[in-house]
Amino acid sequence: MPIFSSLGLLFRPNKGWHEVKARKYGALQVFFAHTLPFALIAPICGYYGTTRTGWQLGAGAPMKLTTESALQISVLYFLAMLVATISVAWALYWMSRTYDAKEDFASGLTLASLTATPLFLVGFVQLRPELWLNLLAGLPALAMSVALFYNGVPVMLEISKERSFLFATAMLGFGLVALVAMIIVTVLLWGAGFAPELSH
Amino acid sequence: MLDAKSPAEAGTYNYKVVRQFAIMTMVWGVVGMTVGVFIAAQMAWPALNFDLPWLSFGRLRPLHTNAVVFAFGGSALFASSYYCVQRTCHTRLFCDRLAAFTFWGWQVVIVSAAITLPLGITTSKEYAELEWPIDLLITAVWVAYAVVFLGTIAKRRVKHIYVANWFFAAFILAVALLHIVNSAAIPVSMWKSYSVYAGTQDAMVQWWYGHNAVGFFLTAGFLGIMYYFVPKQAGRPVYSYRLSIVHFWALIYTYMWAGPHHLHYTALPDWAQSLGMVMSLILLAPSWGGMINGIMTLSGAWDKLRTDPVLRFLIVSVSFYGMSTFEGPMMAIKTVNALSHYTDWTIGHVHSGALGWVAMVSLGAMYYMIPRLFGRELYSIKLVEVHFWTATIGIVLYITSMWVSGIMQGLMWRAVNPEGTLTYSFVESVQAMHPFYIIRLMGGGLFLLGTLVMVYNLWRTVADSRPVEAPIPEPAH
Repeated sequence: MPIFSSLGLLFRPNKGWHEVKARKYGALQVFFAHTLPFALIAPICGYYGTTRTGWQLGAGAPMKLTTESALQISVLYFLAMLVATISVAWALYWMSRTYDAKEDFASGLTLASLTATPLFLVGFVQLRPELWLNLLAGLPALAMSVALFYNGVPVMLEISKERSFLFATAMLGFGLVALVAMIIVTVLLWGAGFAPELSH
Repeated sequence: MLDAKSPAEAGTYNYKVVRQFAIMTMVWGVVGMTVGVFIAAQMAWPALNFDLPWLSFGRLRPLHTNAVVFAFGGSALFASSYYCVQRTCHTRLFCDRLAAFTFWGWQVVIVSAAITLPLGITTSKEYAELEWPIDLLITAVWVAYAVVFLGTIAKRRVKHIYVANWFFAAFILAVALLHIVNSAAIPVSMWKSYSVYAGTQDAMVQWWYGHNAVGFFLTAGFLGIMYYFVPKQAGRPVYSYRLSIVHFWALIYTYMWAGPHHLHYTALPDWAQSLGMVMSLILLAPSWGGMINGIMTLSGAWDKLRTDPVLRFLIVSVSFYGMSTFEGPMMAIKTVNALSHYTDWTIGHVHSGALGWVAMVSLGAMYYMIPRLFGRELYSIKLVEVHFWTATIGIVLYITSMWVSGIMQGLMWRAVNPEGTLTYSFVESVQAMHPFYIIRLMGGGLFLLGTLVMVYNLWRTVADSRPVEAPIPEPAH
């Protein structure tokens, strides 16, 4: 099961990738047995956290979202994570020829999904949606994902370590731009009137 | 004759002025970043101004920006442009004495800034705070710089003018134009003057200057550095020379129009704001032309990565260039700007450009140049790696904390209750920023720490060395 492989990866990143590689997961198998369930963690915890626990800005009373607003955001959040994972897999597939890497969508999706495991898991922190807490918890998770990615590219896509450093860095650039694009789309939606509704 | 030199000197490059500027790049880098870290700490703990006027944030902030942009960035540009133009034109710098004047003149400008700004002497124009006597000195130094640089191109021994020199020349000419137009002022005393423009026109001229300072000082000049040092370090020719020429002209043409996006929703006429927004969006194309050229040139050099951590600085700098030139046009969209303007998101954006792109490519160029100027191998490759990771983690901490805090700030400021009153007072938003200001301070601190590691490494590299006299090789064609 891809889920067990991904947990193994967290403890033994180098050996873990070779095991994942040897198992040869199919794209659908990874998607349904890993990407989909893991991408549910953050939206569910976020829904619970923003409607029940709430968060505090400065000294005021805790803020919460209305259940309808939180539901909408959680669904969009879930979809955004799936789209993000699949688009990274697609970009890996698209760029692989430039770097003489293995052109195989299933390998790309396995790499993208399993790399994101720490980021998926840190979604649990959203049970307490304090911004600073999520940023502090998110940064080590992000660092771990980036490290997993740099370790995973040479193994999964069958290229040398040096070449994979460039490939992984180009992908990181792609990821940063995609992240900024997502922030911008969110802000544009807020500007167009689709803002989250707070309950006081 | 002004340009008298000994027969031995005639056949060598002028490395002396390059060495001087390279060393001062590192000195001012440490000074400017230290001031930055200090004022970042003041944002988290305002008591750190100790109730001293000259330690207050309002006076030290322009000192920080001037020190990192003009002292650190400026010295890096002088050093690398003088190095590049001599080597690619196969000739010694035009007029050694004038080149020496640019060095000493620029240092006097920096020291004057470091004295007048904490004293509260300022024009209050952002990135052009220095008062008129210093502005006049800047003009003299800059004209001398243009004469030395263009004079060297004029006496080149190869027919072709390499693309990096085009970028450097555009940067020098545009900055001269910007500085003279924006700093035009009527002095009322030795240390006080008033801008010749009034009201909205003054604001528009200021941001025409301000954004082109980003476009020409911090972009065109540093693209010049990229176009020389990336192919050199990678040991490969530029990926597409045609692309470099096309994006050069597109960049030069488009940047000039982008200034109004700093004045969205102000008294500036709406059509001018919209024009600035559209031109900023178009700017994405020429900016990415440069990024693609840099990335593709580096991509072929993968076999050198194992032995050469300096390449990593260049790779990361080009990646951040791509990211921040995407973020910039997006933030120029009026709807986005309505949220982001006046928040820390802008500060984060500036630093992804300034730390991620400008500083990383400059430090990469210094790692390339300084050992060669002193005829030594780098003291420690391991320390370069330490520096790389410290700096990169620092940048990530800085940018992510400013993203979160900036967007939060914008949302808090515009939140209204159903009855139409503001949900938050300003001080509540200040209080909410506190944890992010601490994270930002850590990010900036790490970046400074990395730079100190580099200074130590370079110190050990050049200690007890002799300055190199490099003979000028015959052009190959």
